[in-house]
Amino acid sequence: MNKQATKVGWLLASPYLVYSSVFFLIPLFWALYLAFTNWNLISPEYETVGMQNFIDAFFSPSVRAAFWVTYKFMLMFVPIVIAGSLFLALILHHLPRWKGLFAVGYFLPYLASGVASSIVVKGVISYNSPLNQFLRDAFGWDIDWLGSPILAPLVIALMMAWKFVGYYALLFLSGLENIPKEVYEAAEIDGAVGWKRVWHVTIPMLYPSFYTVTILAVGLMFGIFTEPYVLTGGGPEYATHTWQLEIYNQAFEKLNAGYGTAVAIINSIVTFASIFVFRKVLEKWGGKHGWE
Amino acid sequence: MNQRKWFKLAALLMAAAVIGTGCQGQTEKEQGQKKGGSTVQIDFWAAPNPTQQAFWKKMADRYMEEHQNVKIKVSPMPESPSSEAGIQSAIAAGNAPVISENISRGFAAQLADSRAIVPLDQIEGFDDVIAKRQMKSTISTWKFADGHQYVLPIYSNAMLFGWRIDILKELGYNAPPKTYSEVIEVGKKLKEKYPNKFLWARADLAKPTWWARWFDFFMIYNAASNGMHFIDGNKLSADRDAGVKTLQFFADLSKNKLVLMKETKDPFESGTSVMSDLGPWAFPYWAEKFPEMKFNEKYVLSMPPVPDGMDPSQAKTFADTKGLVIYASATKEQQQAAFDFVKWVYSDPQNDLEWLKETNLPPARDDLSTNEAFVSYFEQNPQLKLYAENIPNAIPPMDNAKMVEIQELIGKEALNPVVKGEKTPDKAWEDMEKAINGVLK
Repeated sequence: MNKQATKVGWLLASPYLVYSSVFFLIPLFWALYLAFTNWNLISPEYETVGMQNFIDAFFSPSVRAAFWVTYKFMLMFVPIVIAGSLFLALILHHLPRWKGLFAVGYFLPYLASGVASSIVVKGVISYNSPLNQFLRDAFGWDIDWLGSPILAPLVIALMMAWKFVGYYALLFLSGLENIPKEVYEAAEIDGAVGWKRVWHVTIPMLYPSFYTVTILAVGLMFGIFTEPYVLTGGGPEYATHTWQLEIYNQAFEKLNAGYGTAVAIINSIVTFASIFVFRKVLEKWGGKHGWE
Repeated sequence: MNQRKWFKLAALLMAAAVIGTGCQGQTEKEQGQKKGGSTVQIDFWAAPNPTQQAFWKKMADRYMEEHQNVKIKVSPMPESPSSEAGIQSAIAAGNAPVISENISRGFAAQLADSRAIVPLDQIEGFDDVIAKRQMKSTISTWKFADGHQYVLPIYSNAMLFGWRIDILKELGYNAPPKTYSEVIEVGKKLKEKYPNKFLWARADLAKPTWWARWFDFFMIYNAASNGMHFIDGNKLSADRDAGVKTLQFFADLSKNKLVLMKETKDPFESGTSVMSDLGPWAFPYWAEKFPEMKFNEKYVLSMPPVPDGMDPSQAKTFADTKGLVIYASATKEQQQAAFDFVKWVYSDPQNDLEWLKETNLPPARDDLSTNEAFVSYFEQNPQLKLYAENIPNAIPPMDNAKMVEIQELIGKEALNPVVKGEKTPDKAWEDMEKAINGVLK
C-alpha cells in the first residue's frame, strides 16, 4: 500500500478512533484508576487505596450473591428463551401469510420499557390481583411471588423471556429461512419427516442462530438491572441481587464510587470469562456437527 | 498533504470531538460570560415533577421582571436512574447547577460531607428568610451536627397514618387506635370479622430497602422516642428502650398475622388493609382514581401509635421533607443571587399558598395551620390540615453521610428479621447497634 493510501485510510478511520478514545478508552483508563481509590463521586478529595476495593469486593456477601444470582438467572432464562423463541420461529416460519406482521407483533415487548413491563407484572402478581384471587379461591394457594427466593428470580426470568422471545425468534426465523430446501428433500428421501426432521435437520442446521442467541442471552444476564430494581430491589435475601444492582447501590446510593468501579471491573472480567467458556463449549458442539 | 495540513486536520477533528462530548465546555463558557458581564445567570434545578417545575418557573419569571440583572433558568433535574444519582453525576462532571430543590436532609449530609454544598446560614439574609417565613421551630431540627444549616426546607410532610373509618365503625370503633395495645386489639377484631383483611399491607417490611424505613420504622420510632435523634453527629444515639418497643410492636403485628408483606395493589383503597402510612401526595391520586375516598367518610388520619403508657397527643412522626441547597461550585456572586431569589419567594406567604395549591405539599412553616393566608384553603381541604398542624412534630431524616448504609442495616439486622419471626426485638436491636457502630467507625 502506498503512503498516500495509508494516509487516506487513517483519515477515514479517524472519526471512529477519536470517538472510541473519547467515549471508550479514556473512560476505561479512568475507571481502572478509580477502582484503586476511595473516591465518592462528589468529594474533591480522595486517596488511592491499592487493592483494598477488590479485596473488599471478594469478601462481600452482596458481590458473591450477584455472582451466583447471574448463573441462577442464566439457568432459568436461557433454556426458556431458546425453547420459546425457537418454537415461535417455527410457527412463524410455517405461517402461510402475514409472517412479517406476526413477527413484528411478537417483537413489540422487546421495545417496551423495562420499568413499564415490570409495573405491569407487579400488578398481575399482586396479592389482590384477579390471578391470585382465583388461585386462593379455587385451590387455596396463597403464593408469595416476590417474597420467595425461588419464585422471585423465576418471575423475573419469565418476564425477561417474554420480552426477548420475539427478538430472538427473528434470529431463528432468519436461520430457518436460510436452510436450503434441498436439504429437507434429501432428508425426506432418507425417511426424516415430522419431528424427526426438526430434530435431525432443522436444529443442527440452525447452529449459527443457536450460537448467536445463546451468547446474546448469556451476555444479557450480566446486565440485568431494571426488572429486579423495580420488582424486588434485589431481595428477598439477595435472591435477585444482580451485578448492576450492586454497582448502582454502591456508586449512587452509598456513594462508594471507587468500590463500585472495582465491582464493575470484576463484573466485566466475569462476563468476559463466562462468555468465553460458553463460546468454546458451543464451538466444540458445533464442530462435532460439522460447523467449523 | 504536508505536515502543517495534517496538524490542521487533527486540530479540526479534536475540536469536533470536544463539541461532541456534550455541553460541559459550553456551560463553562457561559459561566465565564456571566462573571464578566453585569447579569448573573442562575441554573435552578427543580424536582422532576411538572407541578413543582411550573411553580419555580412562575416564580423565576416574576423575579426576573423585577430584577433585570438576574437570569434564572429553571429546568428539571435529571432523574435517571434517580435524581440523587443525576446530581452526583453532574457534580462529578462539573455541571452542577447553582441551586436545586428536592434535596432530603440525608442526601444533603452526603453532599455537605463532600463539601459540594455551602452552609446557608453563612449567606447574607438567611436569618431574614427564617423570620419572614416563620420557620424557626421547623428548621431547628434541620441543624447539622457541625452547627450549620445546609438545607432550607421547602415542604414538610408530617407522615400520618390513614385509617379506614368505615371499616373501623363496622368493628365498633369511632376513632383510630392510639396505643400499641389498642392497635393490636383492633387488629384482632378485624381478623375475627374479616379473616382476609389485614391491618397494614406493606411488602417493604420484609425488604432491606433503605428509604422504606422512613415510612415504617421511623414513623413508629419517632413516636415512641419522643423524636429522639437516631444518630448524633457520627454516633448512634438512638433510644434503646423506644427502639426495642418499636420492634416489639412490629413483632406483635406480625405474630397476630395483622400485616400483609406481599405486593398488593392499592390495598388501603380496596379495603384489603385498614391502615396505611400516608402522605398528602395520595389525595390527588385518589381524586382521580378513587373519588369515593372521602375524608371522614371512608378514611381519617392519625399520628403514629405510641407505646402503652405514653401520651398519644405528644406523638412525633417522620417528616418526609425536601429542601433547597446551593452548590459550592457556583461563584459567590451566583450563590448570593440565588439566595436573594429564595428570600424574595419566601418573603410573601402568598407564594407558599400558591405552592400548596399547585403541589399539595405543605410548606415547611411553623404557622401553616394558623396563618390567615392558608386558613380558607385548609377549610376547603381539611385532610391537609392535620399535616400542617404536625409539621413542628415531624422529625426529618438523619444528617449522616452513611444514612443509606445505616437505614439498610435497620432493615437487614432488625426490622426484617423481627417481622419474619427470626429474631427477638432485643437481639435484633443489639445486632443492629453493633452493625451500625461498625459503619460509623
